[in-house]
Amino acid sequence: MGIQKDSVRFNVSGRIFETTATTIANAGRNSLFGAMFDDNWDLQPNATGTTEHFIDRNSDCFAVLLDLLRIGELHVPPNIPEKLLYREALFYGLLDHVRSAKWGPFDGNKLHLSQSITGRAPGDGTAIRAGPDGGCCVAHGSMVHVYDWMLEEHPPITLDYQRVNDVIWADSKSIVISACERLGRGEGGMGLFSASTGELRYKFHVTHENQVKSYTAGALSFSSDYKLFSSCKGRSNEYGIGVWDQVTGKQIDFFYEPPGWSLGDADRLQWLHGTNCLLVATLFPRKDNCYVSLLDFRDKSMVWSWSDIGAPITDERRVRDAIAMEDTNSICVVNEYEDLGFMDLRFAAGSVRWSSRSRLMKGKMPDEPCYPKLALHEGQLFSSMNDSISVFCGPDWVLTSRLRNSYGGSICDFSIGGDRLFSLHSEENVFDIWETQPPPPIM
Amino acid sequence: MSGAKKRNFQIEAFKHRVVVDPKYAEKTWKILEHAIHEIYNHNASGLSFEELYRNAYNMVLHKFGEKLYSGLVSTMTSHLEEIAKSIEAAQGSMFLEELNQKWTEHNKALQMIRDILMYMDRTFIPSTHKTPVHELGLNLWRDNIIHYNKIQTRLKDTLLELVQHERTGDVINRGLMRNTTKMLMDLGPKVYEENFEKPFLEVSVDFYRVESQQYIEHCDCADYLKKAEKRLNEEIERVSHYLDVKSEAKITSVVEKEMIECHMQRLVHMENSGLISMIVDEKFVDLGRMYSLFLRVPNGLTIIKDVMTSHIRETGKDLVTDPERLKDPVNFVQELLDKRDRLDKIIHLAFNNDKTFQNALNSSFEYFINLNPRSPEFISLFVDDKLRNGLKKDKEEDIETLLDKVMMLFRYLQEKDVFEKYYKQHLAKRLLSQKTASDDAERSLIVKLKTECGYQFTSKLEGMFTDIKTSHDTMQGFNAAVGAEIADGPALSVQVLTTGSWPTQSSSTCNLPPEILGVCDKFRAFYLGTHTGRRLTWQTNMGTAVLSAKFGNAQKELSVSTYQMCILMLFNNVNCLSYKEIEQATEIPSSDLKRCLQSLACVKGKNVLRKEPMSKDIADDDAFFFNDKFTTKLYRVKIGTVVAQKESEPEKQETRQRVEEDRKPQIEAAIVRIMKSRRVLDHNNIVAEVTKQLQSRFLPNPVVIKKRIESLIEREFLERDKTDRKLYRYLA
Repeated sequence: MGIQKDSVRFNVSGRIFETTATTIANAGRNSLFGAMFDDNWDLQPNATGTTEHFIDRNSDCFAVLLDLLRIGELHVPPNIPEKLLYREALFYGLLDHVRSAKWGPFDGNKLHLSQSITGRAPGDGTAIRAGPDGGCCVAHGSMVHVYDWMLEEHPPITLDYQRVNDVIWADSKSIVISACERLGRGEGGMGLFSASTGELRYKFHVTHENQVKSYTAGALSFSSDYKLFSSCKGRSNEYGIGVWDQVTGKQIDFFYEPPGWSLGDADRLQWLHGTNCLLVATLFPRKDNCYVSLLDFRDKSMVWSWSDIGAPITDERRVRDAIAMEDTNSICVVNEYEDLGFMDLRFAAGSVRWSSRSRLMKGKMPDEPCYPKLALHEGQLFSSMNDSISVFCGPDWVLTSRLRNSYGGSICDFSIGGDRLFSLHSEENVFDIWETQPPPPIM
Repeated sequence: MSGAKKRNFQIEAFKHRVVVDPKYAEKTWKILEHAIHEIYNHNASGLSFEELYRNAYNMVLHKFGEKLYSGLVSTMTSHLEEIAKSIEAAQGSMFLEELNQKWTEHNKALQMIRDILMYMDRTFIPSTHKTPVHELGLNLWRDNIIHYNKIQTRLKDTLLELVQHERTGDVINRGLMRNTTKMLMDLGPKVYEENFEKPFLEVSVDFYRVESQQYIEHCDCADYLKKAEKRLNEEIERVSHYLDVKSEAKITSVVEKEMIECHMQRLVHMENSGLISMIVDEKFVDLGRMYSLFLRVPNGLTIIKDVMTSHIRETGKDLVTDPERLKDPVNFVQELLDKRDRLDKIIHLAFNNDKTFQNALNSSFEYFINLNPRSPEFISLFVDDKLRNGLKKDKEEDIETLLDKVMMLFRYLQEKDVFEKYYKQHLAKRLLSQKTASDDAERSLIVKLKTECGYQFTSKLEGMFTDIKTSHDTMQGFNAAVGAEIADGPALSVQVLTTGSWPTQSSSTCNLPPEILGVCDKFRAFYLGTHTGRRLTWQTNMGTAVLSAKFGNAQKELSVSTYQMCILMLFNNVNCLSYKEIEQATEIPSSDLKRCLQSLACVKGKNVLRKEPMSKDIADDDAFFFNDKFTTKLYRVKIGTVVAQKESEPEKQETRQRVEEDRKPQIEAAIVRIMKSRRVLDHNNIVAEVTKQLQSRFLPNPVVIKKRIESLIEREFLERDKTDRKLYRYLA
């Protein structure tokens, strides 16, 4: 940078700031400061003869951002609205600095509640999904509300105002939602939307014998090689799992549901990178029985399956969610009382090995319970139950942390992504954002 | 004070933000457009960055992003059109310089424009899916300058012309070339490929096709390879100086194909300078160059390897079948070793120790060594020679390396058992006549054979060593026990050999003189007394003796064989004996007797006997006299036996037969082993398995195997299957 002496003076709307070129260099070339002090720009001493740089911006925010450059930490005084700070950071090209100073790499045991957002949508939430760079989207009935990492709301998404069954981020800029078909109109199905503008970019079709069919799309999943999977229910019993190419948008495969099994109603799909298989789980109470299976699309085979058909029905043994854990070759399931159970994927006909955790919840169920949900993130297992989320770690899945925010009632869904955890409450229309604090610059 | 004035204007606009001045966008854009002009005209020092940045920011904020962007595109395009004209106008060599100059300026301007429009680049462009400013600037340069038809072909031609100049030896401005190609690369790999790389490769193909044709007509192989290598290095250097790294593989493959692959057959087979002459003349550097060049093209090394193999096979075949060479086995083997050393050196120095070449060398040797059935015998003779005399001039380590090399030849042999037969004979002779030069060397060779062929192969050889050692101890015991009694008689040294460990020789005993017989009986009594249940047989054909004799007044010592001793002892009492008389008295087999007499009477300087008539050959009616006129300077006279070092034809036949005889039980054992585990097997499979099991020792003849199977059927080890006659069954 072409500064002769190390000290730099700024006049920000009348307030004088003096700092060093080293501090300013922390902003990087790709910022206003980086460009301003580049050799190309021959900085002229102004009328008073001093090298003082006038900037016509909010000086309080400038002070916060200058401190961020100085010490690498973000301290926002309560009198500055966060949104204003973001605007100013965007002007200077320092938004990335703010973003990484706000929260650090995700760790389930070091989460703190950062914010709770109240939405304006009516009715119960269906699903919440964390985006790759810190944003999220929330499905309510037929609407999906999209928030960026600054938790600013973008235009909502809807597919013909049909009930949304599942929603998934294709990348940081686009979202796929699956919706019920609209009887007699051939609408519904699945669509790809821009996350920032909410416009429909592409609609996925299901074809059988070269005829486009109307269908209801359920659970969604992506594979590592850009394939999109969805459970599908067609009008004339074309039940199964559809596969689309994410790049071309064309349907490339369809796995028909075998008799006596359930695929088209699946609650959860999960792609397993290590084995190139898709986990499909249909769970109580969508069906009377639970069906969990692994599908290999290369030879259209069901390589692993488990069901509780024929098992004695007690509510304690009802599987409410299932998730595959490739590192340990097992599937984790959870029942209504948040008991965890495990099945070994290496044996074809496994049975659930329930862990003997105490049933703390038993006997004090809230009035309006939500079914437990599971999530896995970098070796940590998360399970939601009523108004709290439990974190399990280690080879024996020991309970290590519990996240609870009593406002809003039971948690109906939660999601981890972009180094954040989002949990959606069912009683009030509110969702929480949990973050890990960034590591202090000096350790 | 223009700065203050502008600020006023800005602040005013800011106040009216709610009701945007209809001319606001137009005014702001004019300011920015002016700045872009100034930047392109190198007049940027008067511009205020902060103000321009703020203006661009405000335009985007007030939804005039589209206007800003399209304004940028049209302003930049018009500047680039101007630039295109000035580049086009540049004369001759100034063209490239002008192009580079403008490119540098454009890059700088682009950077500054991007700085001003940074906010648009970050917010407006991603949300509207437009091309970012920097990329836009490159694309506009590509479309308006590089793809401008009056520049495009001129640029391509200029670049290719410069390369051509450099290839023909001129010095060009490499810096300019590098900047230009780098510009094309910056505009995207596709631009580089289409505007330079593709035509460059096409021109190169033509250039090298013509050049290689000229070279091949006028140069010999070594020269041609030197030139090809030089060209290849030049191209690699060219890439490193001013082309994209990815072009290296492409241009080298052009040179490889045109200069090497297209001509490789002709090069290898070139008369008087091709591969074979290089090998013969040991041109390591040329060979190495050929190797490294041919390595680059598919099948290149295969051609070298094939030609080398057939060369080794031919010359090797000539070597082993040359009747002249068969006369001297030691030299024969030495030639083989030298040949192998030479080729090894070539592979080591020129062919990078390539495994496939070593394999080719080994298989060729294996091929031609076995063309001569006497190779095993000769190798054993060579070892014999070295172990007898070797240490005189060679040091210990040299013997080791020599033995290692011999083992190499041994590995090539198919009939390893024949070698074993001969080796046993030669070793026996060395041990009994105490001619071994070094015990360590002997043992080390045994160890090598053992690691090569296993315990079974050397157990008997080791037994021979043990026998010699125990004999030594036995003699010490014997002398301690009865030494006093026989002190007056002749001194006796006995080596007790285990039957079976040693090469069996037809034990043709002779009548020992009574003096000796007495001592021998004493030893027999001693030995059988200490070892019960054994039998001693005298191998008189293998012993030696030292005699004291008086010729006139001269006292001499004669070192002779046992047979010769028996003959000479007869002359203690008489002066003249006829052949018949000697034969009767000694009962030595006539062939041996004749040989002994020959060496006693016919060798000049060692003729202790005189023969009537004087002739070379011994007839039945010859008479022999004690030659008291025998004189010699030496005190001790060693009288050798006339023995052919090399085996004579009948002996050879005999050894052969013995080998064949020994093979029979081995083949049978192999058949039984195989059948025991397989129970039922057809003929062809048995033959295959037997061959596989025995090939470390020899290659069994299928006819012999068939005979052995028949013999085993006769002896009811096997039977033929009743339904399928081709199948054999094992009978437990």
